[in-house]
Amino acid sequence: MAHIDKTKSIADVGDGAAIPIKSDRGLFTAWRIAFVGAIGTLAFLSFYKPDPYLNIIKFVPDGIVVTFKVTVGAILLASIIGLITGLGRISSNRLFNGAASLYVEVIRGIPLLVQIFYIYYALGRIVKIPDLLSAIIAMAVCYGAYMGEVFRAGIQSIPKGQMEAAMSLGMTRGQAMRHVILPQAFKVVLPPVGNEFIALLKDSSLVSILAVADLLRRGREFASESFTYFETYTVIALIYLIITLFFSKLIGIMEERINAEN
Amino acid sequence: MLKTERRVMVQARDIVKLYGRFKALDQVSLTIHEGEKIVIIGPSGSGKSTLLRSINRLEEIDAGTMIVNGMDLYNPKTDLTRVREEVGMVFQSFNLFPHKSVLENLTLAQIVVRKRSKDDALEKAKKLLAKVGLSDKANAYPGKLSGGQQQRVAIARSLAMDPKIMLFDEPTSALDPEMIGEVLDVMKDLANEGMTMAVVTHEMGFAREVADRVVFMDNGAVVEEGTPEHFFTNPDHPRAKQFLSQIL
Repeated sequence: MAHIDKTKSIADVGDGAAIPIKSDRGLFTAWRIAFVGAIGTLAFLSFYKPDPYLNIIKFVPDGIVVTFKVTVGAILLASIIGLITGLGRISSNRLFNGAASLYVEVIRGIPLLVQIFYIYYALGRIVKIPDLLSAIIAMAVCYGAYMGEVFRAGIQSIPKGQMEAAMSLGMTRGQAMRHVILPQAFKVVLPPVGNEFIALLKDSSLVSILAVADLLRRGREFASESFTYFETYTVIALIYLIITLFFSKLIGIMEERINAEN
Repeated sequence: MLKTERRVMVQARDIVKLYGRFKALDQVSLTIHEGEKIVIIGPSGSGKSTLLRSINRLEEIDAGTMIVNGMDLYNPKTDLTRVREEVGMVFQSFNLFPHKSVLENLTLAQIVVRKRSKDDALEKAKKLLAKVGLSDKANAYPGKLSGGQQQRVAIARSLAMDPKIMLFDEPTSALDPEMIGEVLDVMKDLANEGMTMAVVTHEMGFAREVADRVVFMDNGAVVEEGTPEHFFTNPDHPRAKQFLSQIL
């Protein structure tokens, strides 16, 4: 039981959409109303007033693809950075530990938007890489710090006896990490990582200030040409909502399965 | 009786272990010979487990020397993993790997540490599972086993490494009473096969039956050491007398 409780406490680290749990009937119903309501509203608007609503919906799918590219790319990269950071934060090697802690402190103290600007333009000075890639790197560097804390908590939630048992069998710390601790920790961090994924998906809208044509940017392009600001941002908001709700549900199901296994 | 010509497996000399100002171990010395079975007893907080755990350096000591299987644990040149693969350890809380099946629990270190082939490791694992009477649980996960079964798997997991000495840290303390016997039986079999064993336990019947030597600890020191007959019938130290009068 203690194991599961720890899972819950680190699930709070993220700030994604609320994850519906079966036992929480109220939230479950709220999820349903929001999800069905958002899709229904979108369908109704595009049927009732195809100009501009249907035109907007036809214009933005490219942006959805880009939003997903940024989100998936950044979460994968952020997971790698986060794993290394998390290992650093619990390492007894002072240099490794210090570097990881410094990274986390610095990143957490600077607004995400400022970081994105900074990393994007700093990268642009050093190397010539595509805008999309530097946007992904910028997001990953920011989120890596938060993911580092998720991984650290996940690794520390594994009982001390596991490392002791592995080491008493002659494994090195690295072997024990790889074969015993991390496989268990991955299960623990899966829900909070999912939470970070949703938060990242929403924050990926920030890259629209760079030359990256994500969902929000495509919306802005459409709106500034047609002067339908209210209508466009209504559609954009609903699309974000539908995507976010879909994934929060998926993560909720995943988390339930993991808890059932334990 | 002690046979002095036997090889020394563990040589602990003047071990000191501090927790802040508290002396968990206060200049403890202990020698374990090959094939010898010692049982360490004493009240809780007396330093029994700390001493046992310092034998494979799961517990760092603050002073003294610890030589295990001819290797000095605190010599910087000593590869600690080489020491530990020869020293099996069984924990109070089993510490099986919950994400791996019983069979995988037994093969993991054989493959990763001993570099055995998967087939060899499996063969060894199956043999040991049969020995502890759990062949039918080979593919089960630890969470599905009773405490007694888990502890028998944990013993088999240690044995799979072909250790030269086995350490038992209160192996039956977390078990329901009806499961203690099955674990002690496995340990007795092991003792009869000549395994070198150091056991921290509150099971006095086991100590009496299996131990070559009983080590009684109190307040971080060994206060009495001798054969079970001597210790249980006529201990010298007043603290040992008091302890026995409380538990027997």
